[in-house]
Amino acid sequence: MKIKRYPFLIFTLFICTLLFGCWSKKELRDLALIIAVGIDKKDGKYISTFQVVNPGNVAGATQRGGGSTGLPVALYTSTGDTLVEASRKASKQISRIPYYAHTNLVVVGEELAKEGIQQIFDVVERNPQFRPTANIVIARRQTAKQLLSVLTPVDKIPANQMIKTLELTEMMWGENVGTRLREVIESFSLAGKEVIMSSFHVDGNRKHSDDQENVRTMEPTARLRASELAIFKRGKLVGWIGKEEARGVLWILDKIKQTAVTVDWKGEKEALSYKVVRAKTKVTAQLRNGKPIIFVTVETEGDIGETFVAIDFTDPKQIVALEKVMQQEIKAEIEKAVHVAQKKKSDIFGFGEVVHRTYPKEWKKMKKTWDDKYFPKLDIQVKVESFIRRTGLRTRSYIQ
Amino acid sequence: MERARISARQLFMLAILFEHGSAMVIPLGVDAKQDVWLAILCGMVFGGGLLFVYYRLFTYYPNLPFTSYSQRIVGSFFGKVLALIYVLYFLYISARVLRDFGELLLTFAYPETPLFILNAVMMLTVMYAVYKGIEVIARASQLFFFSLYWILMLGFVLIIIAGEIDVRRLQPILEEGWSHIFHVVFTQTLYVPFGELVVFTMIFPYLQREEKVWKAGFLALLLSGINLAMIMGMNVAVLGADIVSRSTFPLLNTIQEIRVANFLERLDVLFMIALIVGGFFKVGVFFYAGVIGVADLFALKEYQRLVYPLGISVLFLSLAIASNFAEHIKEGLRIVTIYMHVPLQMIIPIFLLLIAMVKHQKKERKGR
Repeated sequence: MKIKRYPFLIFTLFICTLLFGCWSKKELRDLALIIAVGIDKKDGKYISTFQVVNPGNVAGATQRGGGSTGLPVALYTSTGDTLVEASRKASKQISRIPYYAHTNLVVVGEELAKEGIQQIFDVVERNPQFRPTANIVIARRQTAKQLLSVLTPVDKIPANQMIKTLELTEMMWGENVGTRLREVIESFSLAGKEVIMSSFHVDGNRKHSDDQENVRTMEPTARLRASELAIFKRGKLVGWIGKEEARGVLWILDKIKQTAVTVDWKGEKEALSYKVVRAKTKVTAQLRNGKPIIFVTVETEGDIGETFVAIDFTDPKQIVALEKVMQQEIKAEIEKAVHVAQKKKSDIFGFGEVVHRTYPKEWKKMKKTWDDKYFPKLDIQVKVESFIRRTGLRTRSYIQ
Repeated sequence: MERARISARQLFMLAILFEHGSAMVIPLGVDAKQDVWLAILCGMVFGGGLLFVYYRLFTYYPNLPFTSYSQRIVGSFFGKVLALIYVLYFLYISARVLRDFGELLLTFAYPETPLFILNAVMMLTVMYAVYKGIEVIARASQLFFFSLYWILMLGFVLIIIAGEIDVRRLQPILEEGWSHIFHVVFTQTLYVPFGELVVFTMIFPYLQREEKVWKAGFLALLLSGINLAMIMGMNVAVLGADIVSRSTFPLLNTIQEIRVANFLERLDVLFMIALIVGGFFKVGVFFYAGVIGVADLFALKEYQRLVYPLGISVLFLSLAIASNFAEHIKEGLRIVTIYMHVPLQMIIPIFLLLIAMVKHQKKERKGR
């Protein structure tokens, strides 16, 4: 070949080929790292709120505690007929390219959630930058913007504070659950499953929530707090479920990792706490006379955490009796949750999908009317088996 | 034909990489919804039948590529016409795969780069490899076989650790019944990627020991069929049938779901490597078969002379075949399958095999 004759030309071509890799280059200092997006709707237009990380003020600067240093995040709001439009219009205020690869949180305002959230996820799915693992929460009694404009003390970036709170409370208490974008999108396509999402609200005085003053007091005047679970039906918010009922939902969804169940004992109210260490739920379906019946079987394992009454824990019979009480308590929670969901006619437990998987042929007939006809009258058999394995560092309590 | 020899092991690895090529990343057979893995396995079984046809043809003419023995079987004129059709088919498919590759990269990684640049860089690499010959491509396949396998294993293990797999998403099995599965098999999964092994009729003659062709080819088919079924099954188990069927690259979405210990996430680069390696071998093998075919058909001694003109034609063809992604995909699923894959992968080879069998029986009788 004649390669030897044109070494310079070949070399130039080679370098050019390599340079194509720099075509869409974006420098780090030209990017606005959006950590959370809030979405509201007003007068038919979408209002997007972007929580942008201010990298210089995240580490180091705020630790030094100087009041004059800047805030770890900045907030931008932009309006548009579509979300893409709002995002592009934001360039009028932000000097950097909005970059969504680090967006871990999407907040939806309650008003928009009631109106319907189906539209807002197409862009999220379509855009290659966006993470499908991002969490989504609802702003309870607030707009998404109000929720995103609260500064937080320990975890400096409010979005991270919310995500970590959510993860922790899901693991330790089990009344809230983190919902990923992908789960929401998946639920839209399933006739037998509706989605639930956790909500957050601002506790305390919201007036100066976005001021640095908020994090300079020991007890911030405005705090973010995980709130009830939002029940959706075909992409619309139809109700809320909280407290014990919310935990009941998580029992059925097999999302409980650890929690504490408090029960009455021999006339004494709320006398004893049972720490659940492991829990496993199985949901099966059966057809009887053409009608589906759902069986929910919960198995829990745990220790005694605390007692206010004198019980002899060295006696295995007492333990068995206690286990029975626990089972009733958990069963009651689950049944309450089912009752609320049936009243709202929203199959948040995915019972329809269980029927779909076990009886695909019969499901085709039920599919259309599942929510309104079958689910509200569904027969659900709950069975709980609780085991108390250990009682901690003491056997009997000093309480007599 | 060039003077080259490859070993059975190299053929096996080349075929594996070829099969995985684009099939791994595109939504393969997703019309079967959650039974997609079943559709792929059935496609593999019938693909085995097709491979057997190609193999039998090869045993009759162990030293000739397809473009030569087609002339022996149906006579010089019709044989040449057939050979020309096949050569054009190979070149066209290599342009299609190149387009696939460019579109995929453009959609998720290089939104602002022109398609031409991405395709050109890829095609230059392919042209260089083909210029160097089949031995070089085969050796490269040995190298990349292990890296690709390593990546697949890593991805698989990470998905399992991340706890994203929910086998319940694969249920109910056979919701639409077998007829629906077979419909998908005979309109999609049989031809891409299994029937595409027809291109290896141009490469079998290079094998050192011809008796090993069947074993290497069959094992490659089996392994890639199982792998692809596992990959698509995993996609459904992670994402759900609906998202998979709407996704342009399900495997990318699956990999994006990986989140281990809060730092192993966004492993898109694994997908990129798999895509580029697979794309290179698929375009490379089709292009090589096309080039060798033209050289054989027109009795050129040095096939290397054809690499640059044909390579540039393929490059421009890859840009010209469709004006947008939707058109490209629609053509691939409807027109190419019915008018190209079915006759060229199935009908003509079976037809040729029948004639060859009759001819050889006659010969044997005369010999006696």
